[in-house]
Amino acid sequence: MNILLCCAAGMSTSLLVTKMEAAAKAEGISAKIWAVSANEVNNHLDQADVLLVGPQVRYLLPKLKKAGLEKGIPVDLINSVHYGMCNGAEVLKFAKNLLDS
Amino acid sequence: MSKFNQMLEEKVMPVAGRIAGQRHLQALRDGIILTMPLLIIGSIFLILGFLPIDGYPEFMARTFGDAWLTKLLYPVSATFDIMALIAAFGIAYRLAEQYKVDPLSAGAISVAAFILATPYFTMFTPEGATEAVQVGGVLPMALLGSKGLFVAMILAMFSTEIYRYIIQKNIVIKMPDGVPPSVSKSFVALFPGFLVILCVWIIRLLIENTSFESLHNVVGQLLQEPLGALGGTLIGALIAVFFVQLLWSTGLHGASIVGGVMAPIWLAQTDANRLALQAGDEIPNIISQQFFDIFIYMGGSGATFVFALMMLFMAKSQQSKQLGRLAIGPGIFNINEPITFGAPIVLNPLLIIPFILTPLALTITTYIGMSTGFAPKTAGVAVPWTTPPIIGGYLATGGNIRGALMQVINLVVAFAIYYPFFRMWDKQNFNVENGSSK
Repeated sequence: MNILLCCAAGMSTSLLVTKMEAAAKAEGISAKIWAVSANEVNNHLDQADVLLVGPQVRYLLPKLKKAGLEKGIPVDLINSVHYGMCNGAEVLKFAKNLLDS
Repeated sequence: MSKFNQMLEEKVMPVAGRIAGQRHLQALRDGIILTMPLLIIGSIFLILGFLPIDGYPEFMARTFGDAWLTKLLYPVSATFDIMALIAAFGIAYRLAEQYKVDPLSAGAISVAAFILATPYFTMFTPEGATEAVQVGGVLPMALLGSKGLFVAMILAMFSTEIYRYIIQKNIVIKMPDGVPPSVSKSFVALFPGFLVILCVWIIRLLIENTSFESLHNVVGQLLQEPLGALGGTLIGALIAVFFVQLLWSTGLHGASIVGGVMAPIWLAQTDANRLALQAGDEIPNIISQQFFDIFIYMGGSGATFVFALMMLFMAKSQQSKQLGRLAIGPGIFNINEPITFGAPIVLNPLLIIPFILTPLALTITTYIGMSTGFAPKTAGVAVPWTTPPIIGGYLATGGNIRGALMQVINLVVAFAIYYPFFRMWDKQNFNVENGSSK
């Protein structure tokens, strides 16, 4: 499972990445999780199975959803409470649900 | 209270979304970012060249020879002094990406267009002479740097618009039968670039017949200087800060959105300071990129560093304490999403008040501090916005301890404004945890 995260500079989402990796390890899921800035995201879509977008750049969502549609991967916004609390387990679950649906 | 949230959601959000998502502004923002790593690298050499330590220049001259400073500043010229050139490429590249046409070609054409709009001579006053003479065969380095930034921005967009228009309209040059298809394709590929060069060439020829002499003078006098004067005032800074905070209050990345519009202006202001430092002149601009990044947004947009400290050390509620532990690490590096989304500050009328007021107050204190000479102005050093408080103020002012002191003062001011709101918020959390309603 390859989970790509995106925010303005890729800084605060990288915080979430560490928490999600820990959650994945605890659940025994093998996942590649990484964060990039908004201007790099197009170069990473090919490697991703799912793209999660930080709430502070939700104005990019329509464009990113379109890009995701072209690549056939689901794209959605991270819940802002989970984002703020860096709730790795919840966001990981969210990513899994997106992939399964 | 909910009316206020409704207003933010319905009025501010959509407008902000449109501005932030606007193709050209996005390309501008993402393209100019390309210059940042170079500027930060150049800054290391810049700081070493101008450490305000007694006897330092003499020591360096004794150790490395009289030309030590010139040699030390070579990398500064290769980074700061070509920022317009880099921006010309970066902006065109990002804009072409948005249009899904070949970004590399668009970038190359944009650089050519930028050079084409730049005079191929410079004025030079030989030693002992009173009048400057024209020296040919050179590109004036000043125009490739921050002075040419606006020309680069305009031409990057102009050339990329022409480029993608021709390609998307699928304008084809009809070749006679018998010409191999790949040969005709290679001619077609040249056409958009040719048209760009033709247009800019004609513009140059026309301007050379006016008193402006070059596109750089037109843009400098009509756009860059007035905008710099506007963005460089206290009022301009307060308006910018207010919008950053208002946008973040709705959960949108205000710094990225407002910065996308203001970055070229503040970057030019920053570099004017750098040039003055290098020339040994008095530093002109109070407002610069570092004014905001380093002195106002300590702990992230909203100057939330003190809020993270309060949560960590002064909270009664478990939730506040827990958030404090989570927020302090990133907060040291001026990243505060755990606070803005976690507390949350976003759409929280209680915390939005200090969140907006504090940066505005710090803008005023810093402005007063720098204009009275109490604190040094930023020295044009491109300090990364992630530099921790205290260190940031020291570096941004070219290694001046009073720069760090200004930050300490700002932290105290921020503390005073946030504290009563923190207490109320923490009490709310505490009461919820302990089951009492009030």
